[in-house]
Amino acid sequence: MTPFHLDPTAKVLVQGATGRMGSRHATLMKRYGTNIVGGTAGASARRDDSDIPLFANCAEAVAATGAVASVTLVPPLDVLRAVTEALDAGIELIVSPSEGVPVRDAMTAYAMVKERGAHWIGPSTPGLAIPERMKLGFIPDVSLKPGSLGVMSKSGTLSYETCFRLASRGIGQSAWIGVGGDPVKGLRFAELLPYFQQDAATRAVLVLGEIGGSEEEDLAAEMTRLGFNKPVFVLLAGASAPEGVTMGHAGALIQGGRGTIQSKTRALRDAGAEVFTSIESLVEGAARRDV
Amino acid sequence: MTIPEGVFVDGRTVADVALDGKGPWVVKAQVGVGGRGKAGGIGFAATHAEVVEFVRAHADGSIKGHRIAGFRVERKVDFVHEIYAGLMVDAAARAVRVMLSTQGGVDVEEHAADAMLSAVAAPDEASLVVAAEGLLAHVAPELREPLNAAFHALIDAFLRFDASLIEVNPLFVLADGSWVAGDMKLAIDENALPRQPEVERIVRSRPQAYRESLFKLEHDFDYVGLDTHGQIGLLTTGAGLSMMLIDEMRQASRRPFNFCDVRTGQLRGSPARLIEVLRQFTQGSDIAVVLVNVFAGITDLGEFAQLLLDALDAVPELGVPVVARLIGNNFEAARRTIEASGRAIVVESDLDKALQIAIERAGVTA
Repeated sequence: MTPFHLDPTAKVLVQGATGRMGSRHATLMKRYGTNIVGGTAGASARRDDSDIPLFANCAEAVAATGAVASVTLVPPLDVLRAVTEALDAGIELIVSPSEGVPVRDAMTAYAMVKERGAHWIGPSTPGLAIPERMKLGFIPDVSLKPGSLGVMSKSGTLSYETCFRLASRGIGQSAWIGVGGDPVKGLRFAELLPYFQQDAATRAVLVLGEIGGSEEEDLAAEMTRLGFNKPVFVLLAGASAPEGVTMGHAGALIQGGRGTIQSKTRALRDAGAEVFTSIESLVEGAARRDV
Repeated sequence: MTIPEGVFVDGRTVADVALDGKGPWVVKAQVGVGGRGKAGGIGFAATHAEVVEFVRAHADGSIKGHRIAGFRVERKVDFVHEIYAGLMVDAAARAVRVMLSTQGGVDVEEHAADAMLSAVAAPDEASLVVAAEGLLAHVAPELREPLNAAFHALIDAFLRFDASLIEVNPLFVLADGSWVAGDMKLAIDENALPRQPEVERIVRSRPQAYRESLFKLEHDFDYVGLDTHGQIGLLTTGAGLSMMLIDEMRQASRRPFNFCDVRTGQLRGSPARLIEVLRQFTQGSDIAVVLVNVFAGITDLGEFAQLLLDALDAVPELGVPVVARLIGNNFEAARRTIEASGRAIVVESDLDKALQIAIERAGVTA
């Protein structure tokens, strides 16, 4: 597998480009500066009002355009099929925003992504962006600002709010990657850390985590393993969630005493991260560090 | 899967039920929570009279906050081995973990670290069978045939019902080499309900047992009641940000009533979701304020403001102040719409300020 990297000029396909969400976001991504080279549509889709070239499937789109990345704007039960089609066409980076993808489909998709050496972001994510260069998904423009903070987040809305407040204090982002709120996903926090380590534009990292699972603990272990030496600011949501109850994100679930805020906070602090308990305290903490 | 012979009873029916043959009997409280045996929810009875005694003593009880829905009276299984067998989604491995312990039963957790065998596999039948066979190579030869049959049944059920967890504990292996599922837990993936009509039927048939799943099924968004004495009702969008707001309210010693993620991007011109959440608030005796939060990347706040007013009109019995934190697309139109309504809604674009106003309001008790 090639290491994860982001090319702001990469040629991008939109799968499901004629749906309600697909056509709207294809236009918005293109307007933002993303190199959208085409889209795929169902056989019965209207094609006359699309402002991007449409193809019957990924293989034809890749052959015609040389696309290397795709965004799957399809219903949740169609995500596995869309990822399969993209991989078969040779796509190397797939972003899947859909919420509600069955966990078995996510496991099956991940196994294929891994076998092909590709990279998958999501599901249940607003996507990723390099401010003022490219956007794969729908991170709101108002929160995006060029800068030096590498952002990775399980939650869309918490990242919009936090980055919006940071941006209004002059702190922008080098890259912003939503890993998504589902338990089984493509790239996880720890797997993105080497990218932020080598990326010269990233001077500090912002992590927006949640209770449940072991992603934050695994990130802490990776920080130690890499000897990660840039400041890491962390906010963890769900401190007061009751055990055994899912709070919206299927991954945000404490079971059998695992995945608690205490476990995550301790692991990340031990690895050298600064862990905050409110949005405002994190924003002030990051502002003080002058990143 | 074979389960012990038995019959469902409750406090009223237990005396009159016909128990076939002779005991001894095992009486199991029916409750959707683990650790039931250790909490006293399982009784052993030599006679029908003792069954009645146990059921009547526990009929109005609860275990770990879950009300006992009834009891299953089973003939005690005469077993040779007590096994734990299960499959679960392993999020870190992004695969299925197949698990086996020959020291099953109520103490499985104490034995887990040293006695649990496990392997991960892709979520398809062939891979899972290979993983299970790998584990069976480590157990006594006389267990392999019954456990092989058990794993085939578990794998079939796990895949067929889109489960995130299936476990049998204890799994009894009998002297004749057959096996019986002494108790079982099946956790289903709500995201797969659209392709699982049988699971959906079960959820709908037992609304009390599956309240949150049913809410999501019927309304297609997330709502979790947190505290019946909560002071602040949340009408918010976004799971992570709503969780964070709840945390910050608790840090300020206030009691949030609920969690919700109404997904304003999916309202499609209807106030139905907002009305549903406001109706929930009317059940709260201590609600002092409603906090609305919408960070509108794409949602048109002008349209949202009108839907909010329509929803408030539809639930007039909810007479508490509303603090609406709105920011983003078409904010000015939203402010004008709300001001023109004459309603006492505080419109604020700074979330921290809106949160402080809600916290102050919640602090004022009648």
